[in-house]
Parts: sequence; structure tokens; C-alpha cells
Amino acid sequence: MKKFFAQAYVWLLLLLLYAPLIFIAIFSFTQSKVMGNWAGFTFDVYKNFFTGNFQGSSALYAALLNTLLIAVVSALVATIMGTLAAISFYNLRGRKKNVLMFVNNIPMINPDIITGVSLFLLFVFLGISKGYLTVILAHISFCTPYVVLSVMPRLTQMNPNIYWAAMDLGATPGQALRKVLIPQLFPGMLSGFILAFTMSLDDFAVTFFTQGTIGLETLSTYIYNDARKNGLTLELRPLMTLIFAFVLIVLLVINLRSAKQARNNKK
Amino acid sequence: MMKPIHRSSWCLPYVVFMAIFVVLPLILIGFYAFSDGNGHFTLANFTKFFQDKDSLATFALSIEVAIENTAICLLLGYPVAWILTNKKLNKSAVTIILFILPMWVNALMRTLATAELFTMFGITLGKGTLLYGMVYDYLPFMIYPIYNTLQKIDPSYAEAAEDLGATPWRVFWKVTVPLSKPGIMSGIMMVFMPTVSTFAISEFLTNNKIKLFGTIIQEKIYASMWNYGAALAFIMLIIIGITTLLTNNDSDNQVEGGLI
Amino acid sequence: MGIAALAALVSCSTDRSKILKVYNWADYIDEAQIAEFEQWYQEQTGKEVHVVYQTFDINESMLTKIEKGHEDYDVVCPSDYIIERMLRSDLLLPIDRNFGDTPDYTQNVAPYIVEKFKQIEGSGKDANDYAVSYMWGTIGIIYNPKFVSEEDVKTWEVLRDPRFKDKIYMKEAFRDVYTTLLIALNKDAIDAGEKTIEELPFDTSDESIAMVEQFLNDCKPNIAGYEADFGKEYMTQEKGWMNLSWSGDAAWAIGEAKDMGVELRYAIPEEASIVWFDGWVIPKYAKNVDAARYFINFLCRPEMALRNMDEIGYVSAIGGPEILAAKQDSTQFAAEDATYFFGEEAKGVCIDPVQYPSDEIIARCGMLHDTGDRTAALQEMWSRVKGDSANALTYIIIIAAVAAIAAAALISKNRKKSRHKKSGRR
Repeated sequence: MKKFFAQAYVWLLLLLLYAPLIFIAIFSFTQSKVMGNWAGFTFDVYKNFFTGNFQGSSALYAALLNTLLIAVVSALVATIMGTLAAISFYNLRGRKKNVLMFVNNIPMINPDIITGVSLFLLFVFLGISKGYLTVILAHISFCTPYVVLSVMPRLTQMNPNIYWAAMDLGATPGQALRKVLIPQLFPGMLSGFILAFTMSLDDFAVTFFTQGTIGLETLSTYIYNDARKNGLTLELRPLMTLIFAFVLIVLLVINLRSAKQARNNKK
Repeated sequence: MMKPIHRSSWCLPYVVFMAIFVVLPLILIGFYAFSDGNGHFTLANFTKFFQDKDSLATFALSIEVAIENTAICLLLGYPVAWILTNKKLNKSAVTIILFILPMWVNALMRTLATAELFTMFGITLGKGTLLYGMVYDYLPFMIYPIYNTLQKIDPSYAEAAEDLGATPWRVFWKVTVPLSKPGIMSGIMMVFMPTVSTFAISEFLTNNKIKLFGTIIQEKIYASMWNYGAALAFIMLIIIGITTLLTNNDSDNQVEGGLI
Repeated sequence: MGIAALAALVSCSTDRSKILKVYNWADYIDEAQIAEFEQWYQEQTGKEVHVVYQTFDINESMLTKIEKGHEDYDVVCPSDYIIERMLRSDLLLPIDRNFGDTPDYTQNVAPYIVEKFKQIEGSGKDANDYAVSYMWGTIGIIYNPKFVSEEDVKTWEVLRDPRFKDKIYMKEAFRDVYTTLLIALNKDAIDAGEKTIEELPFDTSDESIAMVEQFLNDCKPNIAGYEADFGKEYMTQEKGWMNLSWSGDAAWAIGEAKDMGVELRYAIPEEASIVWFDGWVIPKYAKNVDAARYFINFLCRPEMALRNMDEIGYVSAIGGPEILAAKQDSTQFAAEDATYFFGEEAKGVCIDPVQYPSDEIIARCGMLHDTGDRTAALQEMWSRVKGDSANALTYIIIIAAVAAIAAAALISKNRKKSRHKKSGRR
């Protein structure tokens, strides 16, 4: 009985959490602009979305491309810089380490808008005209802390003697990094990269303040501008449905696989 | 004897980067907050805020909404985290993923979808819908940290208490809740501050009827009133500082206190 | 491909003379014309230009960007009272209308509008030297005849009629709303000759503000939301029954709604309205003045004016026989007098009354003006009305929460102390 109520509670909340997504998904299969008016089942909205047959299609495509480009570049830079930093932070001790780790945590504690405003002021102060460069720099600044925090635990688990063995055998520090450290740290780097990538994809506020006036839009800022005019436009429904379905499938596959592995390991 | 890997030079790029893109920007908020358009020191931006009834009222309203949102998220989220970590009530590890999954869909899109749903059912947009949308957006941020700490609690504590004759209710309040305090604290941190400072979301959920403090900051910056905007951001920074200190103190207690 | 785009943008931004930064209202141009202009400009001058097109939806935010942010937009489209303000604060460059071999199409602007621009009080400067009018219109109510009758919208009182609870979308434009309502609420005084439509827009006395505020507070239960742009969309979707809006948005919404099988109409309540004008100007921080003035000239070609009108629903400031000929349609519209705009030929022409209101409606329309220092007072009134903001309960909740946190902190401190004592004994 207790279990029933507990499960019912959890699933009720999940239902509420998913209701908007489900409704959007349902109404992505009809041509009606107004949610709630069913105008017959059709794939037309999807067709139009993929063929670019709607108003402002090129702007939306450009925004999607920008979003991916910015996310890939900033996540890559963040991963490289963050991994190197994590290795050397890990071996620091005392006050120095505390201060650096504290600064590292600042972008994670700060609400987006503070990060955005502070970077906005920085670029104004330095006189850098805002555009791709500023957005990418801004994204790197809030992505890297996540990489550092993802790589750190792997370092705890690693035996540093492997590194010294490589050095003793005549490897340069660079070689030791490439051949020994990176393979060991790779899982942490990967999860850091993925975290950084999703943080960048999802960001709105920081991009908003650093995008400047050259017409650079990401998906978030595109949606923001579009929604101020038209609410949630028709073309965004299939887009959201596809993103949602993609995430759902990826996460479920990963989890089923790791659950399977865990079971196999037990045997 | 294990010798640590000394490669302090490797963090140099990141340290320099942080100095320019994390520390300097925060200093600049302070600098702009305390100066006028020509860079001279002034407190005018702050006195302006305390005389600006509109901004003050919005500030108070934002704090209220944030308190309510945090409280509702905690009340709704704690039971979820508890149920999901309780082996007797839940065996699936996927359920927690289901709570986090919507976060991968763009937040603005989800917010718009929620507002759209309200309009569809003919519900008037206003403070009620704002709170619903906020809870909707931030609930996962409350559940996840609490779930994490609850998961790490050694079940033997609760078992021991039960063996000593404590009722399940008592075990929950005297053992589980105190042990999960760090999770609660970080949940509160992750919900409270972002709620005060959201912008865009509050407008979408109320058809521009209600705006929160984040919107005021955005409006000022967007209208090129940088010094005033910086002063408002500075006020936010102070609140963040205070909440961080408070929560840190409490977690120190926790580490020290352990079981009561 | 992305990298190429990036490289292109980086290289572009270095050579500013090849970029024209246009800052316009959202949905305010047939966007195909932007590319056409790039080509036309090359044909006329042999110079290359790439247009960076950006939009705003609130006059004031555009103004502060230029005034305080010194943004280098080359050509901008503010409203009449903002042009007034920009002239007063010396933010505009005079427009050189000598285009060499290219004809000066800016001559096509209707005399009515040139005359109205002279009423802009820009500290002695003639606004016609600094601005070329683009679009103009009135303010009124878009309504859905399914729910609202023609009789209802004959008066602004409809806004506070309790039958329309939660069904009206209000334009996020405090000055337009204030001025319109002020004239409407002073109808008796105007009829009695005590006040004039020309003077009232300058009146920002506390009594007048209080009068409008009272009216707006009465309206509040009816307001479903404040919008800068999405109102017309919501009207076509029947989410709202009425939308206080500009005539151009009305024309657009009526057309759009028709395609969706929804009937919408536009009415100017009988007491009062506003005629407003938007015009192209070149701000003083512009970096590509030459392309900017050619851009303005390009948009004054009757052909472009007609296309823009079709696309966005607003009415072009361009007058003349070509426009009149294109706009007449006896199958759709009843005859009216539009002589103020097209001259004597326009007596009894069949033309869209949403776009070109008749002579008699125009006669009771005021014009917007810059209210200087009193703007803040207007704005405060507006946020007071809008604000679902803090009330007594807000402060009670905040104080209760702070008290609860303090109490919790105290209790845990005491516990810690007592625990220390205990462990001491142990």
C-alpha cells in the first residue's frame, strides 16, 4: 500500500513534468497554429521543418548551426584547458589550491545573469566588439569548471607511479601526458566534455549578453526573439519533439547498457 | 612512496584565463557599480535603487517568488528523492534519470510549452502560473542533490535507530533528514538564487504582467545603463555571498555534528 | 561551412565601409528588399555593401542603445516623438538628398506627412531635414466581432467593461496609451473648447496622470497580458478578444486571420486617437552614412513602398497617384474622403479605412510628443498599473522566511554547544 502511494506520487509528478512536452509532441503532428485545435494528422510540419519551407527558416538553421559550432569549440577548448588544470590543481596543496578551486567554482555558483552581465562589462571595458569570439570565450569560462570537476575524481583513482615510470623510461612530459595520463583520464574528460557541451547548448543568458549586434543568434536567443513575437511558433514544435526524442533514446540506451554491465559484473 | 605529478605550469593557461574571464569581470561589476558614466566614484547607483520604487518592489517580489519556489520544490522534491533512494519503494535506477531528462530540452522551449498549455486550458496567466512554471523548471535541481546525498547515507544508521526502537517517523526526522542536510542546502542554493535572477521565463509565463529582478537587470543593461545595471548585479552578488556563507557554515556543522 | 561563415564574419567586421547596420522595428519591412538594396546600391554607386539587419520592439530601448551605448547603427527607424528627442539631444545627422544620377525618391513622401513633421519640436530644427518618414498610422482596437460588437468599440470605455474579463491584450507602449486615453477622457473639455488636441499630448500634470491611472486600474481585470509584438498573433489565434494596437498591426492581423477563417476588425473609438509616424534617421554615431542615405532613398521608391505595405500591413508615408491607384478597390471598400493624404483626387475614393482613415477621423487625432523629464513620471505610473508587484503579503513572507532561517541557525548552534558539553563530560 505504502509502495503504491509512493509510486503514484512519483509518477504523478513525472506526468506533470512531461505534460507540456507531450502536448507539444502531439500538436507537432497537426498544422494548427493554435494548440488545442486539432486540424487533422499530418507530417507536414516536419516536412516543412526539414525542407525549410517556413518563414524565417534560414535564420533558424543558422541559429542551430551556430549553437552546435559554439558548443563544440567551447567544449573542446574547455576540455583541454580543464584537464591540464585539473592535473596540476590536484597536486597543489593548502591555500593556493583552496583559492584556485574557489575561483573555479565561481561560474557554477553564479546565476547565469551575473556571469552574463560581468562578461558583458568585461568586453565593454576591453573594447572587444561582441560576436563569435566573445560568445565562445564566455562559454569556455562557464564550461571549464565542469571539466575540472569531472577530471578530478579520476585523478584520485589513478596511480601516479605509472606516470613516473614513463618518465623514468625516457618519455618527455608531453609524451607521458599523451600516452599515459590521457588514456587514464579519458572517461573523466569525456564526461566533462559532454557536460560542457550540454551547458553550452542550453545557455541563454550568457549568450544574450555577449552576442553583440552582428546578428549572431543561437537556438536560445532565436527562440527568445521569436517567442516575443509569436509565442511558440509551429516550426519549433517538431524541433522540440526531435530533441526530446533524441535525448530520451540516448539516455535510456546508456542506462540500459550500464545496468546490464552492472548485472554482468555481479555475476 | 607515491610521488605526486608536479606540473604546476599546466594550469597556467587556465589560471590566466580565470583571472581575465572570471575574476576581472566580477571586479568590473564592483567598479561599474560604484562609478558614474565617467569612471568617478559614486554611490548614486545604489541610492537610485533605494529610491526607485519600481525596482524595489520587483526586488521584493522576486525574493518572495524565490522563497515560495524553493519551499515548494523542497516539499515536492524531498519525498521524490527519498522514495527513489528507498530500496523498498523503488528498484529502478532509471526513474531519477526521468526527472532530470527534461532539463536537456531548452529551458525557454519548455517554459513556452508550459505557458502554451495554460492558455490551451484557459487558465489566466499570472502569479499562479509563474510559480507553477518556476517549480516546473527548478524541481530537478532540488531533487538531484538531495537524491545524491540520500544515496550515500549508510543504511546501517537508520537500521541501528530502528533496532533501538525508533518509529519510522522518528528515524526519518532524526536520522535521514539531518544526514541529508548538505543535499538540501545545495538544492536550496540551486533553486533560490537562479529564481531571483531569472529573466525571460517570468515574462513568458505571465504575458509580461510580472517581471522578476533578473529582467530589471537585463533591461538596464540592454538600455545601456551599465552602471545602474552593475549596481543591481552587485546587490545580487552580495546576496549570493551571504547565502553561500550561510550554507557553508551549516555544512561545517554537519560534518562536525554527524549524528545527533 | 560553419568555419567559413565565421571567417567571413570576422573579415567583414574589419571593413566597416562595406557594412550597413540597419536597426528597424520587428516585422517592419519586406525582407527581400534588403538583398535587393545591396544589389541596387552596387548598381548605383559601384560600391559593395552588406546589410546587417536588426530589429527592436520598443522605441526607448533603441534610443538608449544609441544615446548611451553609442551603438554604431547607420540607419534607424524611430517614432515621431523619439525623432523629436533625438533632434533635441543632437543625435542625428542631416540627410544629404543629393544622390547624383540616382533620382531623389524621398520627394515622394506625402505633403500631409511633411506638414506633420514640421510640428515636431526639435529645438528649432526642421525634422524634414533629418528624417524621412517611412510608415504612419493610428492607434485603435483590433476586435473579434464574434465576441465584441461594433457598438462596444465606439468608445474607449470598452476597455473597462467587466464583460471582457481577461480578454484584452494591452500594447506595451505607455506613451501611446497615456496620450490616447488622456485625449479620450478630456473629450468634454475639448468639445467645450477648453482644451485642444494639439496641446493635450504635452500635458503630463499629476492630475492628468492620476486620471489616466484611475482608468487603467479599472481596466486591469480585463488585461490578459502586455505585449510589444505578439498581440496580433494572439488575436488571430482567438486567444484575446480585443487588442489595443496600431493600425498596421491591425491590417496584418485582419489579413492573417482571414486565412485562418477568423474574422477580425479594427476600430478607432470615437473620442480620440493618435496619428503616429515612424521615420528613417541617420544617428550621429553612424559609420556608413553614404549607404544609409541610399538605403532611405531606395525605400522611398513607390514600388518598394507598395511591397512593404503589402508585406507588413502598415501604411507607407509615400503618397502620389501610383499609390492611390494601387490602393483603390471598390469591391471591398466603401467610398470615403482621403484628401488630406492624396489631395483633391481622393474625394470619395474606395480605399481601406484601416489604412487610410477618413478626413473626419484624422481630424480628432492627436500627435505624440517628447515629454522630457516627465517621461519618468509616466513610466512610473505605467509600472504601478502593470505591477502585480510586491504587496503586504510579500513582506510578511520574506520576514517569516528570514525569521525561520535565523531560528534554525540559533537552534543548531545551541545543539552544537550542548553537544560540546556532553562530549566534554565524556
